[in-house]
Amino acid sequence: MARDPKHDILFEPIQIGPKTLKNRFYQVPHCIGAGSEKPGFQAYHRGMKAEGGWAACCTEYCSIHPESDDTSRVSARIWDEGDVRNLAAMCDRLHEFGALAGIELWYGGPHAPCMESRATPRGPSQIASDFELNIFPRYMDKDDINTVQQMYVDAALRARDAGFDIIYVYGAHAYLPFQFLSPFYNRRTDEYGGSFENRARFWRESLYKVREAVGDDCAIASRFAVDHLLGSTSIQVGEDGARFVEYCDDLVDLWDLTVGDIAEWGQNAGPSRFFEENHEKPYTGQIKAGNHTNKPVVGVGRITNPDTMVAIIKSGQFDIIGAARPSISDPFLPKKIEEGRLDDIRECIGCNQCISRWEIGGPPMVCTQNATAGEEYRRGWHPEVFHPAANREKSVLVVGAGPAGMECAMVLGKRQMAAVHLIDASREIGGSVNWISQLGHSDGKENLFRGTARGLGEWKRVVNYRQIQLDKLKNVELHTGSRLSADDVLEYGAEIVIVATGCHFATDGMNAATHAPIPGADTSLDWQMTPDEVVLGSKPVGQRVLVLENEAYFMGVSIAQKLAGEGRDVTLVTQAADVADYMHYTLEAPMLHRDLHRLGVDIHTYTMLDRIEPGVCHAYNVWNPAHTHEFEVDTVVLCTARISDDELYRELKADQERLTAEGIEGLYVIGDASAPRMIVDSIFDGHRLAREIDSPNPAMPLPFIRERRLWGDASNEDFRAQLLNTPDVALA
Amino acid sequence: MAGILVLAEARRGELRDVSLELITAATELKAKAGGELAVALIDATPERHAARLAAAGVDEVLTVRSPVAQFEPHVSARAVEGLIERLRPTLVLAAHSIDALGFVPAVAATGGRGFLSDVTALGWDDGPVAIRGAYGDKLVAEYDFPGKATTLLLLRAGTFAPAAAGDGGGGARVTEVAIELDGVARTEHGGYREVPAGDVDITKADFLLSIGRGVEEKDNIERFEELARRLGATLSVSRPLVDAGWVPGARQVGQSGKTVKPRVYLALGISGAVQHLAGMRTAETIIAVNTDPEAPIFGVAHYGAVIDMFELADELEQALD
Amino acid sequence: MKVVVPVKQVVVLDDEFELLPDGSGVDPDGIESELNEWDTFSLEAALQLRDAAGDGEVVAITVGDEDAEEGLLAALAKGADRGVRVWHDELQGADALAVARVLAGAVGRESPDLVLCGVQSSDAINSATGIALAGFLSLPHVAVVTGIASDGSALTVERELEGGLVELVRVSLPALLTIQTGINEPRYATLRAIKQARDKPMEVCSPADLGIDSAQLAASIGARRRRLAMPDRGGGAEIIEGSAADVAARIATIVKERMD
Repeated sequence: MARDPKHDILFEPIQIGPKTLKNRFYQVPHCIGAGSEKPGFQAYHRGMKAEGGWAACCTEYCSIHPESDDTSRVSARIWDEGDVRNLAAMCDRLHEFGALAGIELWYGGPHAPCMESRATPRGPSQIASDFELNIFPRYMDKDDINTVQQMYVDAALRARDAGFDIIYVYGAHAYLPFQFLSPFYNRRTDEYGGSFENRARFWRESLYKVREAVGDDCAIASRFAVDHLLGSTSIQVGEDGARFVEYCDDLVDLWDLTVGDIAEWGQNAGPSRFFEENHEKPYTGQIKAGNHTNKPVVGVGRITNPDTMVAIIKSGQFDIIGAARPSISDPFLPKKIEEGRLDDIRECIGCNQCISRWEIGGPPMVCTQNATAGEEYRRGWHPEVFHPAANREKSVLVVGAGPAGMECAMVLGKRQMAAVHLIDASREIGGSVNWISQLGHSDGKENLFRGTARGLGEWKRVVNYRQIQLDKLKNVELHTGSRLSADDVLEYGAEIVIVATGCHFATDGMNAATHAPIPGADTSLDWQMTPDEVVLGSKPVGQRVLVLENEAYFMGVSIAQKLAGEGRDVTLVTQAADVADYMHYTLEAPMLHRDLHRLGVDIHTYTMLDRIEPGVCHAYNVWNPAHTHEFEVDTVVLCTARISDDELYRELKADQERLTAEGIEGLYVIGDASAPRMIVDSIFDGHRLAREIDSPNPAMPLPFIRERRLWGDASNEDFRAQLLNTPDVALA
Repeated sequence: MAGILVLAEARRGELRDVSLELITAATELKAKAGGELAVALIDATPERHAARLAAAGVDEVLTVRSPVAQFEPHVSARAVEGLIERLRPTLVLAAHSIDALGFVPAVAATGGRGFLSDVTALGWDDGPVAIRGAYGDKLVAEYDFPGKATTLLLLRAGTFAPAAAGDGGGGARVTEVAIELDGVARTEHGGYREVPAGDVDITKADFLLSIGRGVEEKDNIERFEELARRLGATLSVSRPLVDAGWVPGARQVGQSGKTVKPRVYLALGISGAVQHLAGMRTAETIIAVNTDPEAPIFGVAHYGAVIDMFELADELEQALD
Repeated sequence: MKVVVPVKQVVVLDDEFELLPDGSGVDPDGIESELNEWDTFSLEAALQLRDAAGDGEVVAITVGDEDAEEGLLAALAKGADRGVRVWHDELQGADALAVARVLAGAVGRESPDLVLCGVQSSDAINSATGIALAGFLSLPHVAVVTGIASDGSALTVERELEGGLVELVRVSLPALLTIQTGINEPRYATLRAIKQARDKPMEVCSPADLGIDSAQLAASIGARRRRLAMPDRGGGAEIIEGSAADVAARIATIVKERMD
């Protein structure tokens, strides 16, 4: 297929300093959990995007010195020759595919707690971080300033050695250079504080010194939050924001523009629940629009649609399309546009699961849409390459077309199994995503700050993408509206049976806190219900509603938001320290909390129910059960626990004789039917089984490479050897 | 052997407008075809429509009385056999309609005649030449009918402008043609039923009013829902409205929604992303309204207007009032 | 109840199809094929009638080359009892009428109680083969059926008219109906049924075997395709100028014309 000429502009090269980007697709710095200590992960994850056509791929924030240590969150580091060697692996891999390598030199100041290095971070003024656990910086005098600026220079020299083409002085997300620029952080009275030029001095000097050191060989970039979103207490695009760009324009080859800070960086990495595509335009779009720069500009905003990308460049909003999450969701986005394969693009859904794992600190990134994200090296998975299964003469029956079932059937189809039949009892495929994606709206009104609740509609892309892919696979048949009994499955004629029948919400208040049902909890009564019953509208909801949330993610709060948005009086109760704990990791929490407060939801934390009676819920404080409270309610919604719908699987498994007699060689269970989990993990589960369907024991995941120190000498091959007998490995 | 015979249609006492479109097609071809243009109506009381059928260019209106009150395919087939025998026309033009599809192919088949359906253009090259789509309008094909004394063609509705109906003046002869039709019917009419509106299935709608991003806010959708209802259309949407959760997915037109092929697709405020076009580009008539003159949808639309969809809605509402 | 279901293996053009340079056809590389969607509905209707009657036979018949075996196998996998495929190279230029002529030979010798055809095929979209077949077989016929109720010897069917109107029509057996999509919920074939379809009887024959010679075949052809071309994408949309009121008026006229 050929590229649509209207997308031609996205493939025009552009000069940045001494370097040339071969097209307008630019993977901006983003975290993945690899750093410099998992060089295989780093190189292969970034390399996958280069192979997919991105013109440049950057590291995540890269510490220039042990004083900038974000442990337990994983940053890259370029402290010494070992780091140079490890990051060179990434540069080499990118260059192999014709992409430029970027490194985002970072000094965090008080935002970096230095829990590993135990060093003391320095900062412009001694104000504790608004982000970290009360970390204070040491006040920087002139010597400190020179020392830290030399750290940037030394790091830049090491970066050039490693092979990096683009070197950032990183000030966005309120890291050190920005802390000097912004009066929110900078209370200095010397020549590095006060007036605009003074506050800009540190950053300008750093840029100058780095440019002096490496500017002939490398493009000098700066990531700058043009607006801190704190109003006049800090940088605003219309004031110092635009002014700063003009002021340092001569020293920069590429501007990488964002908004916000690290304390609420969900304003930048905006989840789809609250922000639409290209949501930073009102801020970052002002720079070129106001003619504040003569240099190329790259910006982000969860831009996934090729037509939007074209419009952004044609309208002069940016010169280069920046992406983090869209590149994770589909490393081959540029190639697919080039080849006119637009319906093969896997669009980011803005769930921020990728971010959540990094926020937790330690785990590798994941992606709901792209199950191979984070697995490129450690499992050798390639998102576009599927090796024909060794047992592909077999036919497969997948029961249940939710996320796990769809993904599994899709990958099995791509691995050329003789025939894959995907059956779902309901008319629509997609399982619970169909009703979940209807959540997330409140009352349509503006939030107290930025981020009006627009709902989880984009999560439906999980289904849309797979539907299109399944349609294209000649060896996959999809049948809906058909509920299969155990006999139906046994007589179906498949050699491999995969059960993906999902889960349901507990009806009796069973929960992870007390490990017991709640007396009086019974959703068969018409005034008690589970979340799906609320969304599907199968029962009438009263005016006073109590929502009990014990599952730490979006369900309870979304139900509360929906019902409060309808004008009901909602009480939200959780036994945890906070409602929807996990949403802090997905960066959705601040906007969600603002919405819940605006809607008047009455939130009770550290609270559990010990009895439910018609019209009243009896609650107690988990620290002192004697502190009780009675909530008078009309309706109770229980989001306490999910339970696998695994009856079909258990029934089949129990009759081994019959399985053998009917020629069924493999019986597996995946997704929520195996154990309730997040959508991202269900999709992964289905994907993994399909990748390993031809291993000796597909039910048991094969080992993956763990990048760790091996005692004695160790080569790359020693690590590769950890991938024992893995059938579907694409490592070059 | 010459001349053109047009088969008009009536249902429940009304002359169907497509009859006048057939007359336009026939008059355009008449000079080349030679001979006369006759228009026939088979109906229980065909004479009541005779005056309207006597449009400019029509030489003769033939009325054939049917023994049954509703359309019956075997009666119509026999009647047309009789008319062909009488006139020996080179060309018989009927509509590509449900009624005509119910009998014309049989008349063509049993008589070894020329035949083509869903014709969108006519020509003449020492005999009729007809053009229709191929592979669902992805391609276009040209046909002729060598060796056929009479060719029956079914014309797609809406491709020819309707002729001005006759008004009682004009020079057409009106002739009652007696054809023996008693006992010819082989099916029996059992009543009519209006189909109740159930769950929305946009793929079944003949007329879709489709809205996109241009609607701007969820609160504006209701207005277009109402407008659709008043126009006799079904409301459908492009993906951004479903993504935003404003409208259920059942109404989505596009690659990941439904593929539709209505007679009329009126797109308001839809730019025409590739995935959306995939879902509607084969609609018979596409009318696009968008404030952006470069919107891709204008590339597939048959008609376009670069105006604001709300202003258009204002005008349509006024016209309907 | 013996029901014959003519089926067609239709062509699906992929996005990258190309025309042969002489305009005589489409490059085979750009072609895939599948069982005509309408035929899945007519087949399902046939299976339901057979099952309701308690006994009987559903015979799937196709006019097509070896590629059409796939569609016939699909029909057998879904539950048809027997398949018949008729082909000869001289059928290359066959139009709806010629196909109907050949089908008439194959269907006629089955002496069915009912013949169920799809309203149209998704590639040629002639919407004519079924009724032409009815003409050749001299069977009472109803076109565009969206509902069937049977009392064993006669049917009451629903006929879908323009504008959402439905007409009820009674017809005695034997008869021929053309079936519209959406009339039922076509069943799908399990993997076992797909495998077992290969064991069901499948006859392959030629028009000559049915007593149709070349001359008769040639005479039955109703139209000759002279040329196949890409549609003229031409000037794009006809732009309606003027005020919003002008545009509204013109749109209203267009809509009225098209909606009849």
